[in-house]
Amino acid sequence: MKVRAQISMAMNLDKCLGCNTCTVTCKNVWTNRQGAEYMWWNNVETRPGPGYPRQWENQDKHNGGWVLDGGKLKLRIEIKKDYKPPGLDDYYEPWTYEYEVLFSEKQTDQQPVARPISLIDGRPMDVSNGPNWNDDLAGTDLLLEDPNLDPLQKSIYTQFKDVFMMYLPRICNHCLNPSCLAACPRKAIYKREEDGIVLVDQSRCRGYRYCVAACPYKKVYYNWKTGKSEKCILCYPRIEAGQPPVCALTCVGKIRYVGVLLYDADKVLDVAAEPDPTRLMRRFIDEVLLDPFDPDVISAARSAGIPDDWITAAQRSPVYKMVKKWQVAFPLHPEFRTLPMIFYVPPLSPVVTTFEQAYGAKITDVFPRVSELRIPVKYLASMFTAGDTALVEQALKKLIAVRIYERSKNVTEPGLADKAKQALAEAGLTEQDAEEMYRLFAIARYEDRFVIPTNPKRYANQPQLQRGVAGLP
Amino acid sequence: MRRPELLLPGVALAVAVVLAALGVMVVTAQESAVLVKFINGSLPVDPASPLWPKPADVPLTSQTLVYPLAPAVENRAVSVSAVYNGTHIAFLLTWKDATQDVAKPGGLDVFPDAVAVQFPVSRAQLPYICMGTVDNPVNIIYWRAGVGVENLVAGAGYGLSPQQREALGLQTTPTSPVELLPDSAQVVQAYAVYKDGAWYVVLVRPLGSVHPLMSSLADDFSAAFATWDGSKGERGGLKATSGWVQFHLERPIFAATQPTQPAPTATQTSATTVTQTYVVETTPAWAWVVIGVLVALLAVVAGLALRRK
Ligand code: SF4
Ligand code: SF4
Repeated sequence: MKVRAQISMAMNLDKCLGCNTCTVTCKNVWTNRQGAEYMWWNNVETRPGPGYPRQWENQDKHNGGWVLDGGKLKLRIEIKKDYKPPGLDDYYEPWTYEYEVLFSEKQTDQQPVARPISLIDGRPMDVSNGPNWNDDLAGTDLLLEDPNLDPLQKSIYTQFKDVFMMYLPRICNHCLNPSCLAACPRKAIYKREEDGIVLVDQSRCRGYRYCVAACPYKKVYYNWKTGKSEKCILCYPRIEAGQPPVCALTCVGKIRYVGVLLYDADKVLDVAAEPDPTRLMRRFIDEVLLDPFDPDVISAARSAGIPDDWITAAQRSPVYKMVKKWQVAFPLHPEFRTLPMIFYVPPLSPVVTTFEQAYGAKITDVFPRVSELRIPVKYLASMFTAGDTALVEQALKKLIAVRIYERSKNVTEPGLADKAKQALAEAGLTEQDAEEMYRLFAIARYEDRFVIPTNPKRYANQPQLQRGVAGLP
Repeated sequence: MRRPELLLPGVALAVAVVLAALGVMVVTAQESAVLVKFINGSLPVDPASPLWPKPADVPLTSQTLVYPLAPAVENRAVSVSAVYNGTHIAFLLTWKDATQDVAKPGGLDVFPDAVAVQFPVSRAQLPYICMGTVDNPVNIIYWRAGVGVENLVAGAGYGLSPQQREALGLQTTPTSPVELLPDSAQVVQAYAVYKDGAWYVVLVRPLGSVHPLMSSLADDFSAAFATWDGSKGERGGLKATSGWVQFHLERPIFAATQPTQPAPTATQTSATTVTQTYVVETTPAWAWVVIGVLVALLAVVAGLALRRK
């Protein structure tokens, strides 16, 4: 067992408003520069939809991630050699408006109009695509491009009364088996030993864009101005100081949780090469991610040089609780085999419904059953568990059970207490679990959502030699 | 038990012979020398100028050694002609490329067409053809369509102490085997034209060196070439490269340092120089023989040890 610690994030999708505050703060802090206008290190997708860049999940088109080739992990770009990295068409041409006109125009009968102009070359342009185009009326025809909708769902989806939606905020997953890193012949991408953050070393990068094509999440972006590739850095200068990344800090819905996960580096490649994707998903949680209370894990962590405050942080980690203890948070598309380390609690929404007829399902109670939820479990499973609906159902059951339990504490209704007990039992939760889950999911304070130990730079043994390289000032 | 004793030295000797033969082949497979024409006056920067001598065709092959490998191994060529005067040297590089790929703002999926010329930094022995080694670096001129030209050094980085590197104007810690020389050594000019399915690129640089890691071309020299076809996704290691090519400076009758003399047209060297084959020292054949003999000796010792048991 080779224990490593990683700063990881969990997002509770039920609470995401789709406000994009995370996106905008990230943009203002990191990508508010020429060459980076089209980059959204953090973006929030309205799903179903094509995502950003368009159809990033469709690897026949984008060639990201790993595949098994004779039992061995191989990059998809190694197999299909005549690929191209995505072009501006797959993203969009960033634009602003010619605001100056509003001040300088001579007085006429017509109001002056600020026309859209390209942020790339300043020429007037027609806006025909955007980072979340399907959110606009203009882009609704793109909805059905979502690769997670199977043909049956597509036909259901076109029935207006069965329409469903959810938000999916995305950042780089700081994967355990990053295909971006593996694809770089210049070895410009590295995963930091101390906290698992995956970075592109700007002084090594030569702009070859193998990483851009190889990342199945399309979270490396090529800067046409600098000729180098860039990606989410998980706000590492903030993380090192024990602060959450800005997307998590500013999140209006308070959906983001940041904490330490311990993992077994020796298991990573073996699990990433597990032939059955749903088994891969389960083994990722069971074998790769470690229990920070297990005495063996603790002693192995200590001998691997992980400081005690990191081990304590791993025990208090909200991400550990959601992912491993309660198993209600899942990685995005584990079948891409990169072992992504950003996790999602699947949404129940809308939970409360009385419009039985409108929703077509048999509504049996205040809280619906998992089978009565509006977002098809199959759709969620296609996104988060490599198609394993049982895992998603189990998680949703837990989330509903907690709500029934909380309701039973506040509402006097005959038989409700028993119903709550039964729901908890069915979901495999104790009352204490439910209480803890309620606190963490609904009313957590800052210090419960963000448990981030400071970074002692324990692997930088020769800082004088590393001056000017890889983030050392 | 006598068999292995004979077998091992036998195999070793055979290997030695093959290696020696390969060594000789490597040495003799050099291109003939390209004559660098002397011009008394300014060098042409227009590819169409009549001043350019007849070009030599240098064959290029896709590299097949390291990831990422080319989609298909294909054979290409670059035509090279060169001229010099008292202070500068210019190369005209011409190669066919059906598509013009030029880096442009917002060109996220554009890989620019490119060409590179590599020179040994030291004259003692030819460096490793694939961008030199720590103890024998190469100086590279790298031009990319829409990006511009860079004067680079390859191989040197990891062989120098931080103090040496700082003195050379390089970043304290090397980040790459290929590095940009400091600003003071960015003295190469490029003029490029794309016409009728071919690139015409003129590269002009000082004849001498302006940096310890830049090659001086004031005497006969070797160079190697590479081209990148952007439309095939070629960048970095995906490229087609040549072997070392010898360049021979045409000697002016009147020293270039005497500007008052009328323009010299007669030259000492004759056209026959062009076809003369230069034997180039790579790893010399005798070294392969020595290696072979050493391997054989080791094998005998191993055989003896085996017999004792
Ligand atoms: S999500 Fe991030 S770490 Fe994972 S492959 Fe993509 S860029 Fe690399
Ligand atoms: S700030 Fe939070 S709530 Fe708003 S879109 Fe981002 S993740 Fe969702």
